[in-house]
Amino acid sequence: MLQDLIQRITKIQVILFCLLFNYFLKAEVDYLGDFSFEGRYFLEDGFLFQENFHSSFTFSPEIYFESDDGKKSFTFKPKLRNDSQDEERDLIDIQELHWVLTGNAVESRIGIRKEFWGVTETFHRVDIINQTDSVESFDGEDKLGQPMINISLETLSGSIDFFALLGSRERTFAGRFGRLRTPIVVDTDHPIYESGAKNKRMDFAIRWVKFFDNLEMGLSHFSGTTREPELIEDLSTLTPRLIPKYNIIDQTGLEVLYILGGLAIKLEAITRSGQKDRFSAITSGFEYTQIGIFKSRLDLGWIIEFNHDDRIENSPTSLGTRLTFNNIADTQILAGILWNDNTNEKSTFLEASGRIGDCCKLSLEGIVFSKGSQKPNILDIQKYKSPFEYLENEDFLRLEFIYYL
Amino acid sequence: MFNLLKRFFLFILILNFNSFLVGDQNNYGLEILKKTDKNMSGYGDSQSRLVMQLINAKGEITERSMRSKLLEVEDDGDKSLFVFESPRAIKGTALLSYAHKVEPDDQWLYIPAIKRVKRIISKNKSGPFLGSEFSVEDLSFQEIEKFSYKYLRDEQYNNQDCFVVERVPLDPYSGYTKQLVWVDKTNYLIQKVELFDRKAFHLKSQFFRGYKRYLSSFWRPGEIEMINHQNGKSTILRIEEQSFQNGLTDSDFTQNSLKRSK
Repeated sequence: MLQDLIQRITKIQVILFCLLFNYFLKAEVDYLGDFSFEGRYFLEDGFLFQENFHSSFTFSPEIYFESDDGKKSFTFKPKLRNDSQDEERDLIDIQELHWVLTGNAVESRIGIRKEFWGVTETFHRVDIINQTDSVESFDGEDKLGQPMINISLETLSGSIDFFALLGSRERTFAGRFGRLRTPIVVDTDHPIYESGAKNKRMDFAIRWVKFFDNLEMGLSHFSGTTREPELIEDLSTLTPRLIPKYNIIDQTGLEVLYILGGLAIKLEAITRSGQKDRFSAITSGFEYTQIGIFKSRLDLGWIIEFNHDDRIENSPTSLGTRLTFNNIADTQILAGILWNDNTNEKSTFLEASGRIGDCCKLSLEGIVFSKGSQKPNILDIQKYKSPFEYLENEDFLRLEFIYYL
Repeated sequence: MFNLLKRFFLFILILNFNSFLVGDQNNYGLEILKKTDKNMSGYGDSQSRLVMQLINAKGEITERSMRSKLLEVEDDGDKSLFVFESPRAIKGTALLSYAHKVEPDDQWLYIPAIKRVKRIISKNKSGPFLGSEFSVEDLSFQEIEKFSYKYLRDEQYNNQDCFVVERVPLDPYSGYTKQLVWVDKTNYLIQKVELFDRKAFHLKSQFFRGYKRYLSSFWRPGEIEMINHQNGKSTILRIEEQSFQNGLTDSDFTQNSLKRSK
């Protein structure tokens, strides 16, 4: 019986190995990826005297190969990050390790992947498959790899994706010596899970997307471990801490994109239950691009987005502009402001980036926070109605140099 | 009174005659371009490797490489997928287009770094494409229905007898007010296009070279050059390798195929 099992396992392994070997023989292997250096300089001292200069290295190689004219492919992309100050910002993550098998109107993707949902630019309400690597960048667009089985069907009435998500990932939070952190440190080593299976719970999601000429629509549902943990205050230990609590949630999302001449009208809305009361959140706005401003080859894009979140008394509005130079170096300047009408809280950012030769890219970014009329209270997290209160002294400049392998 | 009537009739006559002449010129122009279109169609589908050379005013060259897949669609515009291979910073970036005969094209861009498919607003097609002298509009299919035509004259170009036809884009969001097209009389192939911007200024010239006939039915140029007269820059798009009738289908031109293109 046992021998039989062992034999069977070895057989499967041998077959898998042969398949892999077959892949290697048939396909040309692509080695890609990048290596980057980042320096961040904070203009003011941290409230707990954290350092002002933080640097980090990130190495993210990628192996890719395909066969059958791209109908079958394999991707492996780990990510390693080392930070000079904050060990919570060190990272070893498998961003991608998956096979893709393409049939006629069906695609199966098995393994660790990244999957993006949504249409808006400043807040991503609907996007939920991957956990956010929140310490990587301030915009929250960097994600951790998610193990899954994803079947994607292309039908006449749109494409439908089914996801079985094998476990979940914990959000990253800055540590004791990190910057851009909550006044009380988040203890990522002792998270609380609602599910008995903790982070091994199998979650499910489904998404339907269809486009009709000028209209694109998406409807999705996610049932599983939340990606956005509640932070529970724990004052029982010597040093107070915040403990992330991962509830089981149900979230339904709607995405709409409508193109009216040169204007894109966007909407993302969710309703979520499982974390305290059911709530809704909406981000909606416009995008417009002026082509060839000042009789030049420069384009100037405008974005304005409004937010609503049942959990917050008043949500901020964001305005962004993007100046595209349309040159060989792909130079871009992004500027934006996020403000709250009622509290006068503001964050302003400017980011310039461009390629250097064919190998490299340089970007420079600066963010200034202004807490507005709220009074900070370092000891009581519940009184923080908005994140900007503790970001008041966290204005920073960031320089990133990327070398593409 | 009689005089007035006579003048009125004369006026009507001239008007009719004029419109007859204009109509004829328009039809002749349309017929010529229809023939060039027919010469390019019937390929079914194609797969190519392309090299784009960006040449600045000093003559310095920067190269980009990409792959493309095209699918001929009956009774509508063709479908295309362009995938960038270099520079490495944008490798995997891909552009999917569904051209339409009259309606604006549907286009999506895939950004691999954030795994995001973004719809391109079709109005924004007149700007430079990837720092090149081609705009998205220049690289789109020039469907017959997207222009009005007027035959202008016969002219020698490159030792070839050519027709010169003016075509005016019907799309109000086009970056051009008019285009002059040189079509050779032997094979009915577009040899040169002069592009006039919104201020009717002769902005760019496009040259088609190295035409070859494939599968003894349709023609393809080996190289397209775009010269910008305003900034002195030019871009050469060279087709390194191409194959036809590979059996591509609609499912090779979906958002999923956009995401899996590397």
